[in-house]
Amino acid sequence: MILDSVRNFITGFLNTVEDFTLMVLKSFRYLVFHFRMRETMIEMDRLGVGSIPIVFLASLFAGLDMALQFSVVMAPYGASNLLGKVVATSIIRDMGPVLASLVMSARVTAGITSELGMMATTQQIEALLVMGVDPVDRLIAPKILAGMVMLPILSVVGNLLGVLAGLMVAVLGAHVPAPLYWSGVRSALTLPNLVNGVVKPFVFGFILVSVGCYYGIRTTGGAQGVGRATTKAVVYAAIWILIANFLISKFLIDVWGWKL
Amino acid sequence: MGLEAVIRLENVTVSFGPKIILDSINLEIPSGKTMVILGESGSGKTTILKCVLGTLRPSTGHVLANGQDISRMNEEELLLFRQRTGMVFQEGALFDSLTVGENVAFWLWEHTTLQDEKVEERVRTLLRFVGLEDSIDQKPSDLSGGMRRRVAIARAMAAEDPIFMLYDEPTTGLDPFTSKSICDLIRRVQREFRTTNIVVTHDLTDAYRVGDIFTFIKDAKVIASGSRQDIESSVDPFIQTFISLDS
Repeated sequence: MILDSVRNFITGFLNTVEDFTLMVLKSFRYLVFHFRMRETMIEMDRLGVGSIPIVFLASLFAGLDMALQFSVVMAPYGASNLLGKVVATSIIRDMGPVLASLVMSARVTAGITSELGMMATTQQIEALLVMGVDPVDRLIAPKILAGMVMLPILSVVGNLLGVLAGLMVAVLGAHVPAPLYWSGVRSALTLPNLVNGVVKPFVFGFILVSVGCYYGIRTTGGAQGVGRATTKAVVYAAIWILIANFLISKFLIDVWGWKL
Repeated sequence: MGLEAVIRLENVTVSFGPKIILDSINLEIPSGKTMVILGESGSGKTTILKCVLGTLRPSTGHVLANGQDISRMNEEELLLFRQRTGMVFQEGALFDSLTVGENVAFWLWEHTTLQDEKVEERVRTLLRFVGLEDSIDQKPSDLSGGMRRRVAIARAMAAEDPIFMLYDEPTTGLDPFTSKSICDLIRRVQREFRTTNIVVTHDLTDAYRVGDIFTFIKDAKVIASGSRQDIESSVDPFIQTFISLDS
């Protein structure tokens, strides 16, 4: 009984990994050999431009909060002069990309899964196939590319906003002179930090879109099925983003060493 | 001399684990004819359409269209085959993010290099054919069930010369007047485009309106296949009950 459950779990997991990998490989093949500019631009607008308000709002308050907390922790040690560097480093290396991705996964992953899920349950996906169009080509590949392009852009602008929000707290709350804060921020703009800040959202963009597409296109069971698939996709996307965040951090630290 | 059989199912069995969906099905649909597949819900009717489209591969047996084995085609070959096959889904399966005109133009955008004016001309011709030219800019959600089926038929015919037309429950959920008009349209498509058709339905009245050959499926097997006279003279108790309940 227990052995059967374990076997079923492992088989199910391996099947999922296989199907997901095939979908992703097919998507990249289409992006190289049958690139759809129009659909990709539409998806960039929908996924990226549409997410600007929530990503910026989240980055703003994250920057405010982080500067506040660090100023409280650092003031007793007389380290307030390092506030700019600490806030910028935290935001660029970790907080910015992760926060932007998690906020976007709530909007983008859920949106993609429910959209593709509805298409699957109303036979629109089947209709595409019947009309000689591969859904991976028409629907999935443009979304994946749009996610991988737009998330880094949003994340970088969000980071800038977070750092600016930190400046407000540093100057008005912790009474750190603005030039001192800025010199700390500038010293945080190192190559390892900037690579962190771009590579992570690039990978997270891929995760949050591809997971959404994977669960969306396999949806069965009507409206209830769409709800189930959406919940699953958002949860798995968030978990994989956090796992990937740790793995990328570890990898980049191994590459660059303990440099900030 | 009999007509050449363009769609042939040879010993087609479809099973998922221990569950048998289709059991050794043998069917032959001659060129330019309409076969109606009748049976209860869940008897495997739609599965036959999926096998013909190649969206489902039979566990055993062969599905042949014009001599080509669909069940052995690779993805690229299937995509090419489907470009010559029109399929009308149960609820229409129109792309709800596109307008009626865009739905009909979709195939042309994907598979031709026609200029926009030519595409629009073809779309208008098809929509005129199904009586919906005025709805070209409407969204599918603004249409009635019958109108959606008409658009789905227009979309399925968008390919310059579809050879096969497949209809999955084309009149389900429609009132009798709309059902009749959809059946008339199916007949017109067959007559004017000389397509070979498979219509899946559980409505005998509609079946008689559109069909040349009638096949009954029960418990995953074909229990009878032939002309209207053959079916009506069948002594099979299931068919007799089906006919008497419908009348």
